[in-house]
Amino acid sequence: MKIGRKRKGKAEIPTSSMSDIAFLLIIFFMATTKFDVKEGIRLVLPQAAADDAQQAQTLTLTEKEMTRLQITADGMIVVNMEAPRYIENAQLDALIQQKLQVNTDMIFKVITDREAKYNDMIRVVDRLKAAKIEKISLSTN
Amino acid sequence: MANLQRKRNRDVAIPNGSMSDIAFLLLLFFMVSTVFVQEKQFWVERDRWPIAESIERIPRNHTTTIYVMRDETILIDDVPTRIESSEDTFVYSSLVRKKEEDPELVVCFRTDRDTMYGVMSDVMRQLQDANTLIVAFETQQRRD
Repeated sequence: MKIGRKRKGKAEIPTSSMSDIAFLLIIFFMATTKFDVKEGIRLVLPQAAADDAQQAQTLTLTEKEMTRLQITADGMIVVNMEAPRYIENAQLDALIQQKLQVNTDMIFKVITDREAKYNDMIRVVDRLKAAKIEKISLSTN
Repeated sequence: MANLQRKRNRDVAIPNGSMSDIAFLLLLFFMVSTVFVQEKQFWVERDRWPIAESIERIPRNHTTTIYVMRDETILIDDVPTRIESSEDTFVYSSLVRKKEEDPELVVCFRTDRDTMYGVMSDVMRQLQDANTLIVAFETQQRRD
């Protein structure tokens, strides 16, 4: 009896669809990737005040040197000693420009009430930054 | 008489043998650069950030992020904390440690826009005490 030896076929892993799989995975990662870019308003805080009263310096600034922008709990703004009022962004820009005309080196002190919203403080600081003001002081009352 | 022979048309094919290599390289790039952020209950959604115009890009390599929620919970290093008295110095102690590790540290605030400013003031006081003076308030870009 004649027994035929079976021919060995070539064993190969089909790779033709490999690029399709890879591209599908790429699309998945492209769709799910979120580049977490940080963007915001950058400020440099002053050094902590020294406890020693002798080391602490006291400066008295006039209205010509410093403008107080006090933000109240309900979002109103008190400019220096004026009555509190709601100031729109455009009005705030105009006010800042007006103060800069008096003194180009004007210091702006933003005093935010503890009960005021963070958003109100950011709105004022944003307008000051938009006017390219570097001398901004943050405080609370 | 010149012997004019018609040129044989060769088969024109774009080699696509290395296509899968290119695809896998791209795949590796996305796999390496993808970060799945898993912060559930403490996440301050981007649409809750304040909106501003004069924003700048902050390089990520020296930053640490402090989340401040509307209910005055502060999240630093995935640890929730609160500042209710002068004895609550967790923010101060973590920032002192971070400042020692990276002297160029920038502290980024991701704060809900409706948070009361008082808690931000308390955090910033602890930042000043820890001598971490460069801060960034993360905001959304105004699109008018």
